[in-house]
Amino acid sequence: MAQSLLAKSLKDRHDVELAALAAAGGRREFGELARRHGSAVRGLLRRMGAQPSEADDVAQDAFLQAFEKCAEFRGEGTFAAWVKRIAARLYLKRKARNARYVAELEPEQAEGVAAPDTAGHVDLDEALKSLSEVERLCVSLCHGAGLSHPEIASAMNLPLGTVKSHVKRGLDKLRARLSPDGERSGRAAHVF
Amino acid sequence: MSSDEFDPMIERLFARSPQMADAPLFAAGVEAKLQSSSRVRTVALTVAGLIGGVIAVRESTNVSFTLSDAQAPVAGRAIGQGIQSASLNVQEAVGSGLAQFGLADLSLGSMGGMQLFWLAAGALIALAAAGVMKLSQEV
Repeated sequence: MAQSLLAKSLKDRHDVELAALAAAGGRREFGELARRHGSAVRGLLRRMGAQPSEADDVAQDAFLQAFEKCAEFRGEGTFAAWVKRIAARLYLKRKARNARYVAELEPEQAEGVAAPDTAGHVDLDEALKSLSEVERLCVSLCHGAGLSHPEIASAMNLPLGTVKSHVKRGLDKLRARLSPDGERSGRAAHVF
Repeated sequence: MSSDEFDPMIERLFARSPQMADAPLFAAGVEAKLQSSSRVRTVALTVAGLIGGVIAVRESTNVSFTLSDAQAPVAGRAIGQGIQSASLNVQEAVGSGLAQFGLADLSLGSMGGMQLFWLAAGALIALAAAGVMKLSQEV
């Protein structure tokens, strides 16, 4: 009974309130935040190119780090966006550590192939597969994690101009893939 | 579609991410990790506290209270004698306690204060170095 009351009250609380309680050591409150935003963070990491298990590991590390830094969250943006930024940076560090750094990849070599669009549906996850690894990272960091171009340049150790051109090229490809009047969409494309 | 229309659409698509089926499992994993890391921290702090406590007690029981008749007034002398007898009692109790744990021959008491200080400082430096190593791996 008490358990269900507590669970109900947790569900009713706002993210900022839960984060404040978590900053005071509330693990249950933080668990509720992880429940609410875990999928979004894991989804972003997968969109950045992480394998599902890797995305889960990084997301878990990001939430643990967020718990430690919870007092720094002031509610200026959303909690999900804050954790996404932490997760994105952690993923980049992990990639750098694994010496599979994207800066050394030739964009054309790394380019993925999107799955055939048999049902006439195009979703973002599929469309992202048509981008090169570095374009995918730059676009996801910019539009998914909310990092600015200079922040991406610094996090990826790339020149600012290179980041801008990767984002632009990536967006052009996505536009072609996703928009109904795009070059690849002779058929009707429904965006999820 | 112009970029003015497309950019907000991309933002919206990125913001939209379906709730995964195993979201509760993931959250439970995060909570379990938090729990275990806090347990490790508690155990580490308790062990450090116990070690520090044992060292402090042994050191304090070795202190000799030398309040001579000429130097101390009557009240001070009485307090001095009280402390001395209490100290002896504590020393006996600690001694028997340590003997029960097989630490009767612990030679920390024979170490000088300076030696203990350097020992503790060495341990702290090693801890700090381990912390820096971990940080540098993460950065």
